[in-house]
Amino acid sequence: MNNVTLLFHKPWIWSFIAVLSAWVATIIFTGGLGGAGLAQAALTFAAFSVIVGIGQMFVITLGPGNIDLSIPATMTLSATLALKFMNTDGALVLPGLLIALGVGLAVGTANFGLIKLLKIPPIIATLSSSFLIQSTAIWSNRGLRIKPPEVLTDFTTSSVLGVPNVALLSFVLAVAAYFILMRSLFGRWVLAIGQNMRAARLAGVPVDGVRFSTYVLCGVLAAVAGYFLASFSGGAALNMGTEYLLTSIAVVVIGGSSVAGGNSNVPGIWGASLFLFLVVSMLNTFGVGAGVRLIMTGLIIIAVITLAGGRKSMK
Amino acid sequence: MNKFTLATLTLALSMGTTLATLPAFADTAGKKIALSNNYAGNSWRQAMLTSWDKVTGAAVSSGVVAAADAFTTAENQATEQAAQIQNLILQGYDAIVINAASPTALNGAVKEACDAGIVVVSFDGIVTEPCAYRIAVDFAGMGKSQLDYLSEKIPDGGNLLELRGLAGVFVDDEISAGIHAGVAENPQFKIVGSVHGDWAQDVAQKAVAGILPSLPEIAAVVTQGGDGYGSAQAFAAAGRDVPLIIMGNRHDELLWWKEQKDATGYETMSVSIAPGVSTLAFWVAQQILDGATVPQDLTVPFLKITQDTLEESLETTQAGGVANVEYSLDDAKATIKSSM
Repeated sequence: MNNVTLLFHKPWIWSFIAVLSAWVATIIFTGGLGGAGLAQAALTFAAFSVIVGIGQMFVITLGPGNIDLSIPATMTLSATLALKFMNTDGALVLPGLLIALGVGLAVGTANFGLIKLLKIPPIIATLSSSFLIQSTAIWSNRGLRIKPPEVLTDFTTSSVLGVPNVALLSFVLAVAAYFILMRSLFGRWVLAIGQNMRAARLAGVPVDGVRFSTYVLCGVLAAVAGYFLASFSGGAALNMGTEYLLTSIAVVVIGGSSVAGGNSNVPGIWGASLFLFLVVSMLNTFGVGAGVRLIMTGLIIIAVITLAGGRKSMK
Repeated sequence: MNKFTLATLTLALSMGTTLATLPAFADTAGKKIALSNNYAGNSWRQAMLTSWDKVTGAAVSSGVVAAADAFTTAENQATEQAAQIQNLILQGYDAIVINAASPTALNGAVKEACDAGIVVVSFDGIVTEPCAYRIAVDFAGMGKSQLDYLSEKIPDGGNLLELRGLAGVFVDDEISAGIHAGVAENPQFKIVGSVHGDWAQDVAQKAVAGILPSLPEIAAVVTQGGDGYGSAQAFAAAGRDVPLIIMGNRHDELLWWKEQKDATGYETMSVSIAPGVSTLAFWVAQQILDGATVPQDLTVPFLKITQDTLEESLETTQAGGVANVEYSLDDAKATIKSSM
């Protein structure tokens, strides 16, 4: 009993309740058909949102004004450069991944450089850097769809015991993120900065170093997501990251993390990512039009956030 | 004597070519044409810009026009493009070719350009301002042609899954209206599901994967272009038989089709608009500057690929790109004539 009440005080529980409701509603509509297939598809596509969502969550945790808008461009550029380098050669998978990671590292460094050295607010800094990154991607990609190596396609589209490989990968990353945020000194520092940057600085937290690492982490995770998404969906394309800008922010907020920073959680990102996929699938299955679907998605998201927020204030 | 004849001959020949080319080109050699483009972030638009560079580059170096510069806005927003058009007016271009972010939001800026004596030709994303020329695509016809094909291929009919484009864009509404008109004419087909794939393979793959578990047996997938390969991937991932999927001329779609054709005799068709339509707009603008009479509304043909032309199209399509046709001055003249 006590444990159950405790569970309901967790801000992320609401996203999982929403996931279950959307899944059950869809299954009831189809008369019990396709439940497993739907769950598998949800796990697959949520995996990519989770990876970018974790990065965005760390950045948002840093406190008001911290956000990374360069995620879509980073995904596109890392996927483009990595896949171009590999040129469908399966032996180059690891060097390709290193190139993707390098892109993420460079983007994170550049973003923080703009924020710190030129004193540009993060929202403007990452927006303008995303133009530079996207232009580089356009210059390198020239609008062509670059094919991934066969072995990567196989890896990203297969599953182990019914669980998609990309979901397993994301799960491992999420567990790591959980320990970094909740159990490590670095995570505590990030939370402290988000609650009060001045107090954190006075308490001896290396604020600049932590912020720098956080933006780099976000860039690297976006690059990883781009690398695997391109391998999964049959190639790197210029518009491949577009929908992950809003998604990355939405999963953080719906997951019950505070958008003002200083109070975040990792499980909620998984819940929110699954939910975003399932709610669209549910409304598509019901056969509602695009207009109604967008309105309903908005209303449902507001409802989930209100519920999660309401619980928190009671605590 | 011999030399003299040769010289006269050369002179006559060169005069002949001059005479032949003069009436068409004389008036536009000093003219400057600009391309105002609202978006460059996908393969179709990249091919569109490449075609523009190729054809207009040749036209500039051979002296047909003085300049043909392409400008693309960063944010795909009507306000930004309106400001861009105002800049182009100030820079003194004689004609502006526009692929517009919105059919109505640029009308103010387009009117300003017309009032300044500038020829405005819109294509693909057209503008409704009456003073502008429109090279429109019969998107509804493109949607309907899919059902025409299906009614021949699958006379018994069956369930259809409809892939739509980006919600709220008029192209999406038009193609979908054409598809629905086709279904109304062929009631043996029934649309059992409809998802938005945003003309992107990964978005289409995600949307189809989400709705597929709840769908009955699907006979065919009707699409809008850029979403066929992603749909095929989603069917394969769900372990279902891949139905007849209409393709949209992208290289990965054609390649997949070819693989299936070789393996199982898979049959379908592919239809889209060639990105090179930008070059048609260029020649139309050049013709108007040259004083030719051109109707305000022109229509571009679709580029259709069939079972028989698949190999040929695949060969001429750049890996990872989209099947393309670049238009010549004669094509533009023919299009103008057929629209009169």
